[in-house]
Amino acid sequence: MKYVLKRLGLLLVTMILVSFLTFLAFQLVSGDPAVTMLGTDATAAQLQTLRHELGLDLPFLTRYFRWLGGFFTGNLGVSYSYRQPVWNLVSSKLTISLCLSLMSFVLIAVISIPAGIFSYSRTGGPLSWLRTVFNQLCMAVPPFFTGILFSWCFGILLKIFTPGDFPGFDSDFAESMRHIFFGAVCLAIPRIAMTIRMLRSTVVSEMNKAYVRTAISRGNDRRSVLMRHVLKNSMLSVVSFLGQTLAELVGAGIVVEQVLGIPGLGRFLVASISHRDYPVVQTIVVILAFWVVLAGTAADLINQAIDPRLRQGSRS
Amino acid sequence: MKKRILAVSLALVMIVMLFTGCGSNGTQTAAPSPSPEEEAPSAAPEKSERASGNEVSIGIAQDFDSLDPDHMTAAGTKEVLFNVFEGLVKPTAAGDIVPAVASSVEKSEDGLQYTFTLREGVKFHNGETVTADDVVYSIERRWNGEDTAAQLPALGVIESVEAGDNSVTITLTEPSNEFLASIMTAYILPKDYADQETSPCGTGPYKFVSREVQDNLVLERFADYWGEPGHLDKVTFRILENAEGLVLGLQSGALDLVAHMTTDQTMQLDEKEFTIAEGSMNLVQALYLNNAEKPFDDVRVRQALCYAVDKQAVIDLAFDGYGTPLGTSMFPSFSKYYDDSLTDYYQQDLAKAKELLAEAGYPDGFDMTITVPSNYTPHVNTATVLVELLREVGINVTVQPVDWGTWLQDVYTDRKFQSTITGLTSDNMTARKLLDRFASTAHNNFTNYSNEEYDEIFAQAIAATDDAEQVGLYKQLEKNLTENAANVYLQDMADLVAVRNGLQGLTFYPLYVLDVSALSWAA
Repeated sequence: MKYVLKRLGLLLVTMILVSFLTFLAFQLVSGDPAVTMLGTDATAAQLQTLRHELGLDLPFLTRYFRWLGGFFTGNLGVSYSYRQPVWNLVSSKLTISLCLSLMSFVLIAVISIPAGIFSYSRTGGPLSWLRTVFNQLCMAVPPFFTGILFSWCFGILLKIFTPGDFPGFDSDFAESMRHIFFGAVCLAIPRIAMTIRMLRSTVVSEMNKAYVRTAISRGNDRRSVLMRHVLKNSMLSVVSFLGQTLAELVGAGIVVEQVLGIPGLGRFLVASISHRDYPVVQTIVVILAFWVVLAGTAADLINQAIDPRLRQGSRS
Repeated sequence: MKKRILAVSLALVMIVMLFTGCGSNGTQTAAPSPSPEEEAPSAAPEKSERASGNEVSIGIAQDFDSLDPDHMTAAGTKEVLFNVFEGLVKPTAAGDIVPAVASSVEKSEDGLQYTFTLREGVKFHNGETVTADDVVYSIERRWNGEDTAAQLPALGVIESVEAGDNSVTITLTEPSNEFLASIMTAYILPKDYADQETSPCGTGPYKFVSREVQDNLVLERFADYWGEPGHLDKVTFRILENAEGLVLGLQSGALDLVAHMTTDQTMQLDEKEFTIAEGSMNLVQALYLNNAEKPFDDVRVRQALCYAVDKQAVIDLAFDGYGTPLGTSMFPSFSKYYDDSLTDYYQQDLAKAKELLAEAGYPDGFDMTITVPSNYTPHVNTATVLVELLREVGINVTVQPVDWGTWLQDVYTDRKFQSTITGLTSDNMTARKLLDRFASTAHNNFTNYSNEEYDEIFAQAIAATDDAEQVGLYKQLEKNLTENAANVYLQDMADLVAVRNGLQGLTFYPLYVLDVSALSWAA
């Protein structure tokens, strides 16, 4: 219970801090939403009136606290460029981005853990250098490149999906999911490679520890030691790493969303920043902050389940 | 939590479906190189070619802003919603202004009164008939409505708008030759219709169906259109801001038409599938100089820059040869006002450029900064070429890319810059729109150009009631800009449009619009 409260507090503080910093950043860079809204023909008088209507002429802190007050009462404001309530615009993008990140995450978790163990147990085989090269390659390949490659290969040659024609969940669920699946794979490839490498090196260093030697000298075979003791200990860092990965994925999706034409949060965020559409930017940034804290909490909880010592640590 | 479990399990189901449904292809996760023996999956073969039915899908590189015609500011939004809205009069591809919602226009002797007779039975997309009240409402909203954002400064000459019996009379404070052109974008809307932002409603040949922000916008043919109806039943605009995404969309069959492409993009397309149409963007791309900023406050320095820059070299190097060189703030499609003799006023002459620089006190050149909006690749590429061209005369150029919001604020509004590259357009068909910003007191004179002679001629030009006289005066203004080297004029950029073979009727306007009502599929 105490833990939950602590986490909730952390969540709240993070979100407020992040939203404040974003607000501050916009205060510091130049760019005026009134100018973007009225375009290049507007007169100074028109700009002034609009700034007043939007409350942009108020002091910085007043504007921030107004926004914060609105946020806590469920009023996220109205987008400057679209002139529609922010939540209506953001909610459908949120679902899509969540699907993309979660699918990518599941791929990473499901593929990299068994593959990492496999990779350890086959260390030193004749083709081990080939595996290393392949792993390095996967780690280095940027998602936008795989995005183009996949669109070309699976979209244009094999026609499994139609790049540039994301239909939306309501009109064609399967086709939308195919888009998202390929996007998720692009995102997952470098991270799978990283996770495998990381798991493998952790296992290697664990296997050299004294408790392993003791266990083996007591008659256990290497395999059962690996599965029963070493893996559990190695998992701690992997879980933290995966937690971080999960947090990153929402933001990392931007490029893949652009290449594959998936209308997600990332693209929306980039467009809104260049239009100085503060209400939209603030909302998306807070959602991302929420997501990051959530992912961290999940990783924490899982690690505590694996290693009871961590649980005691948090109680004291 | 439930949602997450649901999403995760859905994701798993999908993976399984994909792997089983796609046979051998499913296992290729990295660096796929499909061998031709592999069977192509049977999934969705009907989607491989163009969308079935009488439809077209058009790719665009940036999202629309507000859909309310009086709030939209993005050129890309106006370009598309041109199909949904009409004013009392509208432009044609040939550059004429013809009656639209009005069936005829009468101008009084003194040029102060315009009487528009409304066309019989023009319907809004919501089924209602256009009345004189609707017209008065629409014009007033643009002219001096409560909504400041909607006000159009160009309509400042209006004194009053009155509804008559099936007609509307507009009285002006002073005669204005350009009044009809400026009323063109005062679109006619149903009176007190509150949903223009989310569900725009006008009288054009296509009506709005739906819009998903940062994703798509769908239009449908309006069956009750008063004029010649569109050919296509449905037109979908898809937003794909990534250059590769647009090309992939064309190649995959998701898109049938994409305008404003670069040669890098068009070269990736198969000639058997696509035709590249070449129009012009109708804009004046130039290295715009802040005339109030040292050293550009000296006309000799500005002229030296003009002598140093070879326009054709810019077009060849940054645009693969596509583009029309310009010598002043006017482009060829405004043929009435365009003076071709100004284009070669400054021939590249490095010796002369150096001489002028020496005279101005910069025998060893100087350092300058070009601020470019980084989201416009053509302008960024142009800047890169200019760096090299200006180095020849000893000018050391730094290119400073900034994002669009910063550009609007620092360069355009606050005029805190030394030089910039952009393209200036006119959204109604008047020369005035291109030339008024160089009057020294103009609110949008971001280059701080200040020339007494120019101000005098400009005042005469806008007061002129005789068309020929006015055209002559505008040409003098153009010459003034060239002679005083207000800016380093470069070109009217080419508009490369990829069109799927079989799709016909693409028409280029002297304005930045995409008329979908003329498009149709060859039988």
